[in-house]
Amino acid sequence: MGLPLFSASDDPGPSFVRYAELSGLVDEPSMTDADARHATTVIAVRYNGGVVMVGDRQATSSYIASRDVRKIEAADRFTALAISGSAARGLEFIRMAQLSFEHYEKMTDTSLSLEGKANYLSPIIQRNNLSTPLMVIPLLAGWDPSRQDGRIFEYDGAGGCYERRDFATIGSGTPFADSALRLGFRADLDREAALELGALAIYEAGDNDPSTGGPDFVRNLYPMIVTLDENGFTELPADEVAQRFIAINQRRTESQGVAGGSLR
Amino acid sequence: MSNYFYVSPEQLIKDRAEFAQKGIARGRSIVAAIYDVGVLMVAENPSASLNKISEIYDRIAFAGVGKYNEFDRLREAGIRWADGTGFTYSREDVDARALANYYAQHIGDMFTEGQKPLEVEVLVAQLGTAIRPTKLFRIAYEGTISDEPRFAVLGGDAEAIKSRFGAAESDLEPLDVTLRNAVAALANADRTIEVPDLEVCVLEDTGGRRTFARLTDERVAALLGT
Repeated sequence: MGLPLFSASDDPGPSFVRYAELSGLVDEPSMTDADARHATTVIAVRYNGGVVMVGDRQATSSYIASRDVRKIEAADRFTALAISGSAARGLEFIRMAQLSFEHYEKMTDTSLSLEGKANYLSPIIQRNNLSTPLMVIPLLAGWDPSRQDGRIFEYDGAGGCYERRDFATIGSGTPFADSALRLGFRADLDREAALELGALAIYEAGDNDPSTGGPDFVRNLYPMIVTLDENGFTELPADEVAQRFIAINQRRTESQGVAGGSLR
Repeated sequence: MSNYFYVSPEQLIKDRAEFAQKGIARGRSIVAAIYDVGVLMVAENPSASLNKISEIYDRIAFAGVGKYNEFDRLREAGIRWADGTGFTYSREDVDARALANYYAQHIGDMFTEGQKPLEVEVLVAQLGTAIRPTKLFRIAYEGTISDEPRFAVLGGDAEAIKSRFGAAESDLEPLDVTLRNAVAALANADRTIEVPDLEVCVLEDTGGRRTFARLTDERVAALLGT
Protein backbone atom coordinates (compact mmCIF):
# COMPACT_ATOMS: atom_id res chain seq x y z
CA MET A 1 0.00 0.00 0.00
CA GLY A 2 1.50 3.30 -1.09
CA LEU A 3 0.87 6.73 0.37
CA PRO A 4 -2.92 7.28 0.08
CA LEU A 5 -3.13 10.77 -1.43
CA PHE A 6 -6.36 12.08 -2.92
CA SER A 7 -7.19 15.15 -4.94
CA ALA A 8 -9.46 17.65 -3.19
CA SER A 9 -12.49 16.58 -5.27
CA ASP A 10 -12.40 12.86 -4.42
CA ASP A 11 -10.94 13.06 -0.92
CA PRO A 12 -12.82 10.68 1.42
CA GLY A 13 -12.56 13.16 4.32
CA PRO A 14 -12.34 11.94 7.91
CA SER A 15 -14.54 8.85 7.35
CA PHE A 16 -12.51 5.65 7.59
CA VAL A 17 -15.26 3.58 5.95
CA ARG A 18 -15.30 5.86 2.89
CA TYR A 19 -11.52 5.62 2.65
CA ALA A 20 -11.52 1.84 3.13
CA GLU A 21 -14.05 1.44 0.30
CA LEU A 22 -12.23 3.81 -2.06
CA SER A 23 -8.92 2.07 -1.52
CA GLY A 24 -10.30 -1.49 -1.63
CA LEU A 25 -9.41 -2.35 1.97
CA VAL A 26 -12.91 -3.77 2.48
CA ASP A 27 -15.06 -5.70 0.03
CA GLU A 28 -18.79 -5.53 -0.32
CA PRO A 29 -20.27 -7.98 2.20
CA SER A 30 -21.24 -11.28 0.57
CA MET A 31 -23.14 -14.44 1.58
CA THR A 32 -21.52 -16.27 4.46
CA ASP A 33 -21.28 -19.87 5.59
CA ALA A 34 -24.50 -20.93 7.30
CA ASP A 35 -22.51 -22.50 10.14
CA ALA A 36 -21.31 -19.10 11.30
CA ARG A 37 -21.43 -18.39 15.02
CA HIS A 38 -24.10 -16.24 16.58
CA ALA A 39 -23.71 -13.95 19.51
CA THR A 40 -26.62 -13.00 21.82
CA THR A 41 -28.24 -10.94 24.65
CA VAL A 42 -26.97 -7.51 25.69
CA ILE A 43 -28.90 -4.85 27.62
CA ALA A 44 -28.34 -1.19 28.43
CA VAL A 45 -30.08 0.70 31.27
CA ARG A 46 -29.97 4.44 31.93
CA TYR A 47 -29.57 5.69 35.47
CA ASN A 48 -28.96 9.03 37.15
CA GLY A 49 -25.44 9.80 35.96
CA GLY A 50 -24.78 7.18 33.31
CA VAL A 51 -25.60 3.93 31.58
CA VAL A 52 -25.08 0.31 32.67
CA MET A 53 -24.51 -2.36 30.02
CA VAL A 54 -24.57 -6.09 30.66
CA GLY A 55 -23.87 -8.76 28.06
CA ASP A 56 -23.71 -12.54 28.06
CA ARG A 57 -20.57 -14.32 26.87
CA GLN A 58 -21.85 -17.23 24.78
CA ALA A 59 -21.43 -17.76 21.02
CA THR A 60 -23.74 -20.38 19.58
CA SER A 61 -23.74 -22.17 16.21
CA SER A 62 -25.58 -25.50 16.34
CA TYR A 63 -23.70 -26.10 19.58
CA ILE A 64 -22.03 -23.78 22.11
CA ALA A 65 -19.05 -22.49 20.15
CA SER A 66 -17.52 -20.25 22.77
CA ARG A 67 -18.26 -19.32 26.38
CA ASP A 68 -16.13 -16.23 26.78
CA VAL A 69 -16.90 -13.91 23.86
CA ARG A 70 -16.76 -10.18 24.64
CA LYS A 71 -19.84 -8.63 23.03
CA ILE A 72 -19.40 -5.20 24.62
CA GLU A 73 -16.33 -3.19 23.72
CA ALA A 74 -15.26 0.38 24.33
CA ALA A 75 -15.66 2.16 21.00
CA ASP A 76 -13.71 5.02 22.53
CA ARG A 77 -13.27 6.52 25.99
CA PHE A 78 -16.94 7.56 26.47
CA THR A 79 -18.74 5.10 24.21
CA ALA A 80 -19.52 1.39 24.34
CA LEU A 81 -20.67 -0.72 21.43
CA ALA A 82 -22.38 -4.10 21.79
CA ILE A 83 -23.38 -6.54 19.06
CA SER A 84 -25.88 -9.31 18.46
CA GLY A 85 -26.29 -11.55 15.43
CA SER A 86 -23.41 -12.93 13.42
CA ALA A 87 -20.31 -13.00 15.63
CA ALA A 88 -17.89 -12.70 12.71
CA ARG A 89 -19.68 -9.68 11.25
CA GLY A 90 -20.29 -8.19 14.66
CA LEU A 91 -16.68 -8.28 15.78
CA GLU A 92 -15.66 -6.78 12.43
CA PHE A 93 -18.33 -4.14 12.96
CA ILE A 94 -16.92 -3.20 16.36
CA ARG A 95 -13.40 -3.01 14.92
CA MET A 96 -14.57 -0.77 12.10
CA ALA A 97 -16.47 1.52 14.48
CA GLN A 98 -13.55 1.83 16.94
CA LEU A 99 -11.19 2.63 14.11
CA SER A 100 -13.60 5.08 12.50
CA PHE A 101 -14.09 7.15 15.66
CA GLU A 102 -10.35 7.30 16.28
CA HIS A 103 -9.65 8.06 12.62
CA TYR A 104 -12.08 10.97 12.69
CA GLU A 105 -10.50 12.29 15.86
CA LYS A 106 -6.99 12.19 14.41
CA MET A 107 -7.98 13.66 11.05
CA THR A 108 -9.94 16.58 12.47
CA ASP A 109 -8.40 17.00 15.95
CA THR A 110 -11.91 16.88 17.48
CA SER A 111 -14.03 13.98 18.74
CA LEU A 112 -17.28 13.05 17.05
CA SER A 113 -20.31 13.91 19.17
CA LEU A 114 -22.20 10.93 20.63
CA GLU A 115 -25.07 11.60 18.24
CA GLY A 116 -22.57 11.81 15.38
CA LYS A 117 -21.24 8.38 16.29
CA ALA A 118 -24.77 6.97 16.49
CA ASN A 119 -25.68 8.31 13.05
CA TYR A 120 -22.39 7.18 11.53
CA LEU A 121 -23.31 3.53 12.23
CA SER A 122 -26.68 3.62 10.42
CA PRO A 123 -25.47 3.26 6.81
CA ILE A 124 -22.94 0.59 7.82
CA ILE A 125 -25.73 -1.52 9.35
CA GLN A 126 -27.97 -0.92 6.37
CA ARG A 127 -25.34 -1.91 3.83
CA ASN A 128 -24.26 -4.96 5.83
CA ASN A 129 -27.76 -6.27 6.52
CA LEU A 130 -29.21 -5.77 3.05
CA SER A 131 -26.53 -7.90 1.41
CA THR A 132 -26.20 -10.79 3.83
CA PRO A 133 -28.61 -13.15 5.58
CA LEU A 134 -26.59 -12.84 8.80
CA MET A 135 -27.79 -9.72 10.51
CA VAL A 136 -25.76 -7.68 12.91
CA ILE A 137 -27.67 -5.41 15.25
CA PRO A 138 -25.52 -3.19 17.45
CA LEU A 139 -26.37 -1.24 20.58
CA LEU A 140 -24.56 2.00 21.28
CA ALA A 141 -24.41 3.63 24.69
CA GLY A 142 -22.26 6.40 26.00
CA TRP A 143 -21.70 9.39 28.19
CA ASP A 144 -22.48 12.59 26.31
CA PRO A 145 -20.02 15.20 27.65
CA SER A 146 -21.91 18.08 26.03
CA ARG A 147 -25.21 17.13 27.69
CA GLN A 148 -23.67 15.63 30.85
CA ASP A 149 -25.95 12.64 30.50
CA GLY A 150 -25.88 8.94 29.65
CA ARG A 151 -27.57 8.08 26.33
CA ILE A 152 -28.61 4.85 24.60
CA PHE A 153 -29.13 4.35 20.85
CA GLU A 154 -30.73 1.22 19.42
CA TYR A 155 -31.03 0.19 15.76
CA ASP A 156 -33.29 -1.87 13.55
CA GLY A 157 -32.11 -4.17 10.76
CA ALA A 158 -32.53 -1.46 8.13
CA GLY A 159 -30.12 0.85 9.97
CA GLY A 160 -32.75 3.01 11.66
CA CYS A 161 -31.33 4.67 14.77
CA TYR A 162 -33.55 5.35 17.77
CA GLU A 163 -32.62 6.97 21.04
CA ARG A 164 -34.01 5.28 24.15
CA ARG A 165 -34.54 7.23 27.34
CA ASP A 166 -35.05 4.15 29.52
CA PHE A 167 -33.40 0.88 28.47
CA ALA A 168 -32.71 -1.24 25.39
CA THR A 169 -32.01 -4.89 24.64
CA ILE A 170 -30.58 -6.76 21.65
CA GLY A 171 -30.29 -10.45 20.81
CA SER A 172 -32.34 -13.62 21.09
CA GLY A 173 -32.86 -13.28 24.85
CA THR A 174 -34.66 -9.96 24.33
CA PRO A 175 -38.19 -11.09 25.38
CA PHE A 176 -36.95 -12.27 28.78
CA ALA A 177 -34.44 -9.50 29.45
CA ASP A 178 -36.91 -6.89 28.25
CA SER A 179 -39.66 -8.20 30.56
CA ALA A 180 -37.40 -8.00 33.59
CA LEU A 181 -36.36 -4.46 32.65
CA ARG A 182 -39.96 -3.36 32.01
CA LEU A 183 -40.98 -4.48 35.49
CA GLY A 184 -37.93 -3.16 37.30
CA PHE A 185 -37.11 0.12 35.54
CA ARG A 186 -37.78 3.47 37.23
CA ALA A 187 -36.81 6.90 35.96
CA ASP A 188 -34.73 7.68 39.05
CA LEU A 189 -32.53 4.59 39.25
CA ASP A 190 -29.14 5.08 40.85
CA ARG A 191 -26.01 3.25 39.72
CA GLU A 192 -26.33 0.41 42.22
CA ALA A 193 -30.01 -0.24 41.37
CA ALA A 194 -29.23 -0.14 37.64
CA LEU A 195 -26.39 -2.66 38.07
CA GLU A 196 -28.69 -4.96 40.02
CA LEU A 197 -31.53 -4.67 37.49
CA GLY A 198 -29.19 -5.18 34.51
CA ALA A 199 -27.63 -8.29 36.02
CA LEU A 200 -31.08 -9.70 36.81
CA ALA A 201 -32.27 -9.09 33.22
CA ILE A 202 -29.33 -11.05 31.79
CA TYR A 203 -29.87 -13.78 34.41
CA GLU A 204 -33.48 -14.12 33.19
CA ALA A 205 -32.39 -14.24 29.55
CA GLY A 206 -29.76 -16.89 30.32
CA ASP A 207 -32.35 -18.89 32.25
CA ASN A 208 -34.88 -19.00 29.41
CA ASP A 209 -33.05 -18.53 26.11
CA PRO A 210 -30.84 -21.45 24.97
CA SER A 211 -28.58 -19.12 22.95
CA THR A 212 -27.82 -16.83 25.88
CA GLY A 213 -25.19 -17.89 28.37
CA GLY A 214 -26.07 -17.25 32.00
CA PRO A 215 -23.53 -17.22 34.82
CA ASP A 216 -21.25 -20.27 34.53
CA PHE A 217 -20.37 -21.24 38.11
CA VAL A 218 -18.38 -24.28 36.98
CA ARG A 219 -15.93 -22.35 34.78
CA ASN A 220 -16.20 -19.15 36.82
CA LEU A 221 -17.33 -17.22 33.73
CA TYR A 222 -19.91 -14.47 34.19
CA PRO A 223 -21.66 -11.98 31.91
CA MET A 224 -19.69 -8.78 31.49
CA ILE A 225 -20.87 -5.55 33.09
CA VAL A 226 -19.70 -2.06 32.13
CA THR A 227 -20.69 1.43 33.20
CA LEU A 228 -20.47 4.67 31.19
CA ASP A 229 -20.42 7.84 33.22
CA GLU A 230 -18.46 11.06 33.44
CA ASN A 231 -15.29 9.00 33.94
CA GLY A 232 -15.93 7.15 30.69
CA PHE A 233 -16.03 3.41 30.01
CA THR A 234 -15.40 1.20 33.06
CA GLU A 235 -15.60 -2.57 33.13
CA LEU A 236 -16.56 -3.99 36.52
CA PRO A 237 -13.89 -6.27 38.03
CA ALA A 238 -14.52 -10.00 37.58
CA ASP A 239 -15.02 -10.77 41.30
CA GLU A 240 -17.58 -7.98 41.77
CA VAL A 241 -19.53 -9.35 38.79
CA ALA A 242 -19.26 -12.87 40.21
CA GLN A 243 -20.61 -11.72 43.60
CA ARG A 244 -23.67 -10.16 41.97
CA PHE A 245 -24.57 -13.30 40.05
CA ILE A 246 -23.86 -15.58 43.00
CA ALA A 247 -26.27 -13.43 45.08
CA ILE A 248 -29.02 -13.58 42.43
CA ASN A 249 -28.53 -17.32 42.11
CA GLN A 250 -28.69 -17.74 45.88
CA ARG A 251 -32.03 -15.90 46.07
CA ARG A 252 -33.37 -17.92 43.15
CA THR A 253 -32.32 -21.16 44.86
CA GLU A 254 -34.09 -20.11 48.08
CA SER A 255 -37.30 -19.36 46.16
CA GLN A 256 -36.96 -22.77 44.47
CA GLY A 257 -36.56 -21.27 41.01
CA VAL A 258 -39.58 -18.99 41.20
CA ALA A 259 -38.89 -15.47 39.91
CA GLY A 260 -42.28 -13.94 40.73
CA GLY A 261 -43.50 -12.09 43.79
CA SER A 262 -41.22 -9.22 44.58
CA LEU A 263 -38.87 -8.84 41.63
CA ARG A 264 -35.60 -10.61 42.27
CA MET B 1 5.49 23.11 -32.23
CA SER B 2 6.79 25.10 -29.33
CA ASN B 3 10.46 25.65 -28.66
CA TYR B 4 12.16 24.43 -25.46
CA PHE B 5 15.25 26.17 -24.15
CA TYR B 6 17.93 23.89 -22.81
CA VAL B 7 18.31 23.99 -19.03
CA SER B 8 21.05 21.85 -17.51
CA PRO B 9 19.95 19.36 -14.83
CA GLU B 10 22.25 21.09 -12.33
CA GLN B 11 20.56 24.43 -12.95
CA LEU B 12 17.10 22.88 -12.78
CA ILE B 13 17.76 21.21 -9.43
CA LYS B 14 19.36 24.38 -8.07
CA ASP B 15 16.37 26.50 -9.09
CA ARG B 16 13.90 24.07 -7.61
CA ALA B 17 15.87 23.78 -4.36
CA GLU B 18 16.03 27.55 -4.04
CA PHE B 19 12.30 27.81 -4.64
CA ALA B 20 11.50 25.21 -1.96
CA GLN B 21 13.98 26.68 0.53
CA LYS B 22 12.47 30.12 0.13
CA GLY B 23 8.97 28.79 0.80
CA ILE B 24 10.06 26.86 3.87
CA ALA B 25 12.12 29.79 5.27
CA ARG B 26 8.98 31.95 5.39
CA GLY B 27 7.50 29.88 8.26
CA ARG B 28 8.58 29.21 11.83
CA SER B 29 10.66 26.21 12.85
CA ILE B 30 10.05 23.04 14.85
CA VAL B 31 12.31 21.22 17.32
CA ALA B 32 11.75 17.53 18.05
CA ALA B 33 13.84 15.85 20.72
CA ILE B 34 13.96 12.55 22.51
CA TYR B 35 13.79 12.96 26.31
CA ASP B 36 14.32 10.37 29.04
CA VAL B 37 10.89 8.71 28.70
CA GLY B 38 9.41 10.04 25.46
CA VAL B 39 9.57 12.27 22.42
CA LEU B 40 8.93 16.02 22.57
CA MET B 41 7.87 18.19 19.62
CA VAL B 42 7.77 21.98 19.92
CA ALA B 43 6.57 24.35 17.20
CA GLU B 44 6.32 28.09 17.22
CA ASN B 45 2.74 28.46 16.05
CA PRO B 46 0.53 31.46 16.84
CA SER B 47 -2.56 29.61 15.58
CA ALA B 48 -4.34 27.43 18.12
CA SER B 49 -6.26 25.47 15.49
CA LEU B 50 -4.04 25.14 12.41
CA ASN B 51 -1.73 22.56 13.88
CA LYS B 52 1.76 21.66 12.73
CA ILE B 53 2.07 18.61 14.97
CA SER B 54 -0.38 15.73 14.90
CA GLU B 55 -1.05 12.18 16.03
CA ILE B 56 -0.61 9.55 13.31
CA TYR B 57 -0.93 6.32 15.27
CA ASP B 58 -0.55 4.79 18.72
CA ARG B 59 3.17 5.55 18.92
CA ILE B 60 3.76 7.73 15.85
CA ALA B 61 3.52 11.50 15.47
CA PHE B 62 3.87 13.89 12.55
CA ALA B 63 5.24 17.41 12.34
CA GLY B 64 5.44 19.63 9.30
CA VAL B 65 6.79 23.05 8.36
CA GLY B 66 6.29 25.12 5.23
CA LYS B 67 3.05 25.46 3.30
CA TYR B 68 0.17 24.40 5.52
CA ASN B 69 -2.04 22.91 2.79
CA GLU B 70 0.84 20.81 1.48
CA PHE B 71 2.00 19.27 4.74
CA ASP B 72 -1.57 18.86 5.99
CA ARG B 73 -2.33 16.64 3.00
CA LEU B 74 0.72 14.57 3.85
CA ARG B 75 -0.46 14.36 7.46
CA GLU B 76 -3.90 13.09 6.35
CA ALA B 77 -2.32 10.57 4.00
CA GLY B 78 -0.14 9.37 6.89
CA ILE B 79 -3.15 8.81 9.18
CA ARG B 80 -4.96 6.94 6.40
CA TRP B 81 -1.91 4.83 5.66
CA ALA B 82 -1.41 3.97 9.35
CA ASP B 83 -5.08 3.18 10.08
CA GLY B 84 -5.34 1.18 6.85
CA THR B 85 -2.20 -0.82 7.58
CA GLY B 86 -3.26 -1.51 11.17
CA PHE B 87 -6.71 -2.57 9.96
CA THR B 88 -5.30 -4.93 7.32
CA TYR B 89 -2.57 -6.48 9.48
CA SER B 90 -2.18 -5.64 13.16
CA ARG B 91 -1.61 -2.50 15.20
CA GLU B 92 1.96 -3.54 15.99
CA ASP B 93 2.81 -3.78 12.28
CA VAL B 94 2.47 -0.04 11.76
CA ASP B 95 6.07 1.18 11.53
CA ALA B 96 7.27 4.77 11.28
CA ARG B 97 10.17 3.83 8.99
CA ALA B 98 7.80 2.57 6.29
CA LEU B 99 5.74 5.76 6.51
CA ALA B 100 8.86 7.96 6.41
CA ASN B 101 9.96 6.12 3.26
CA TYR B 102 6.63 6.75 1.56
CA TYR B 103 6.85 10.43 2.45
CA ALA B 104 10.42 10.57 1.13
CA GLN B 105 9.41 8.94 -2.15
CA HIS B 106 6.45 11.23 -2.65
CA ILE B 107 8.28 14.43 -1.72
CA GLY B 108 11.25 13.34 -3.88
CA ASP B 109 8.97 12.62 -6.85
CA MET B 110 7.32 16.01 -6.49
CA PHE B 111 10.73 17.68 -6.34
CA THR B 112 11.94 16.22 -9.63
CA GLU B 113 8.71 15.61 -11.54
CA GLY B 114 6.06 17.82 -10.00
CA GLN B 115 4.85 21.10 -11.45
CA LYS B 116 6.63 22.66 -8.52
CA PRO B 117 8.45 21.10 -5.57
CA LEU B 118 6.57 20.82 -2.28
CA GLU B 119 7.56 23.64 0.05
CA VAL B 120 7.59 21.42 3.11
CA GLU B 121 9.80 19.53 5.50
CA VAL B 122 8.22 16.81 7.61
CA LEU B 123 9.16 14.76 10.62
CA VAL B 124 7.95 11.30 11.58
CA ALA B 125 8.57 10.46 15.24
CA GLN B 126 8.17 7.05 16.79
CA LEU B 127 8.13 6.13 20.46
CA GLY B 128 10.01 2.85 20.87
CA THR B 129 8.73 -0.52 22.10
CA ALA B 130 10.41 -3.78 23.01
CA ILE B 131 10.79 -4.56 19.30
CA ARG B 132 11.20 -1.06 17.82
CA PRO B 133 13.56 1.78 18.71
CA THR B 134 12.54 5.38 19.38
CA LYS B 135 13.16 7.21 16.11
CA LEU B 136 13.10 10.65 14.52
CA PHE B 137 12.94 10.67 10.72
CA ARG B 138 13.33 14.02 9.01
CA ILE B 139 12.34 14.32 5.36
CA ALA B 140 13.59 17.38 3.50
CA TYR B 141 11.91 19.18 0.56
CA GLU B 142 13.90 17.19 -2.04
CA GLY B 143 13.04 13.82 -0.48
CA THR B 144 16.23 13.26 1.48
CA ILE B 145 15.42 11.17 4.52
CA SER B 146 17.63 11.38 7.59
CA ASP B 147 17.50 9.33 10.74
CA GLU B 148 18.28 11.82 13.50
CA PRO B 149 19.86 10.21 16.55
CA ARG B 150 18.62 12.51 19.38
CA PHE B 151 16.93 15.59 18.02
CA ALA B 152 15.81 17.13 14.75
CA VAL B 153 15.10 20.68 13.65
CA LEU B 154 12.82 21.57 10.75
CA GLY B 155 12.37 24.90 9.05
CA GLY B 156 14.28 27.78 7.57
CA ASP B 157 16.44 28.62 10.55
CA ALA B 158 17.34 24.97 11.19
CA GLU B 159 21.13 25.18 11.29
CA ALA B 160 21.28 27.98 13.89
CA ILE B 161 18.61 26.36 16.09
CA LYS B 162 20.35 23.01 15.75
CA SER B 163 23.66 24.35 17.02
CA ARG B 164 21.96 26.19 19.92
CA PHE B 165 19.99 23.12 21.00
CA GLY B 166 22.97 20.77 20.46
CA ALA B 167 25.15 22.97 22.68
CA ALA B 168 22.54 23.01 25.46
CA GLU B 169 21.87 19.31 25.64
CA SER B 170 24.34 16.45 25.64
CA ASP B 171 22.35 13.65 27.24
CA LEU B 172 18.71 12.58 27.54
CA GLU B 173 17.08 14.97 30.01
CA PRO B 174 13.66 15.02 31.70
CA LEU B 175 10.73 16.64 29.83
CA ASP B 176 10.90 20.06 31.55
CA VAL B 177 14.62 20.52 30.85
CA THR B 178 14.27 19.38 27.24
CA LEU B 179 11.30 21.71 26.72
CA ARG B 180 13.19 24.69 28.18
CA ASN B 181 16.19 23.96 25.95
CA ALA B 182 13.99 23.55 22.89
CA VAL B 183 12.11 26.81 23.46
CA ALA B 184 15.37 28.66 24.15
CA ALA B 185 16.87 27.25 20.94
CA LEU B 186 13.80 28.29 18.93
CA ALA B 187 13.76 31.79 20.40
CA ASN B 188 17.46 32.69 20.50
CA ALA B 189 18.73 35.13 23.15
CA ASP B 190 17.22 38.30 21.72
CA ARG B 191 13.52 37.40 21.99
CA THR B 192 11.10 35.28 23.99
CA ILE B 193 8.22 33.18 22.67
CA GLU B 194 5.01 33.51 24.65
CA VAL B 195 3.35 30.29 25.84
CA PRO B 196 0.18 30.74 23.69
CA ASP B 197 2.44 30.91 20.62
CA LEU B 198 3.89 27.45 21.34
CA GLU B 199 2.46 24.20 20.11
CA VAL B 200 3.85 21.42 22.30
CA CYS B 201 3.13 17.71 21.88
CA VAL B 202 4.67 14.56 23.30
CA LEU B 203 4.72 10.83 22.72
CA GLU B 204 4.90 9.21 26.16
CA ASP B 205 3.63 5.99 27.72
CA THR B 206 0.83 6.70 30.20
CA GLY B 207 -0.61 3.20 30.42
CA GLY B 208 -2.95 3.39 27.43
CA ARG B 209 -2.59 2.30 23.83
CA ARG B 210 -2.31 5.83 22.46
CA THR B 211 0.76 7.76 23.55
CA PHE B 212 0.27 11.11 21.79
CA ALA B 213 -0.67 14.11 23.90
CA ARG B 214 -1.11 17.78 23.09
CA LEU B 215 0.03 19.80 26.12
CA THR B 216 -2.22 22.62 27.32
CA ASP B 217 -0.88 26.15 27.77
CA GLU B 218 -1.11 25.70 31.57
CA ARG B 219 0.96 22.53 31.42
CA VAL B 220 3.54 24.16 29.14
CA ALA B 221 3.79 27.20 31.42
CA ALA B 222 4.24 24.91 34.44
CA LEU B 223 6.98 22.91 32.69
CA LEU B 224 8.75 26.08 31.61
CA GLY B 225 8.46 27.48 35.12
CA THR B 226 7.06 30.81 33.93
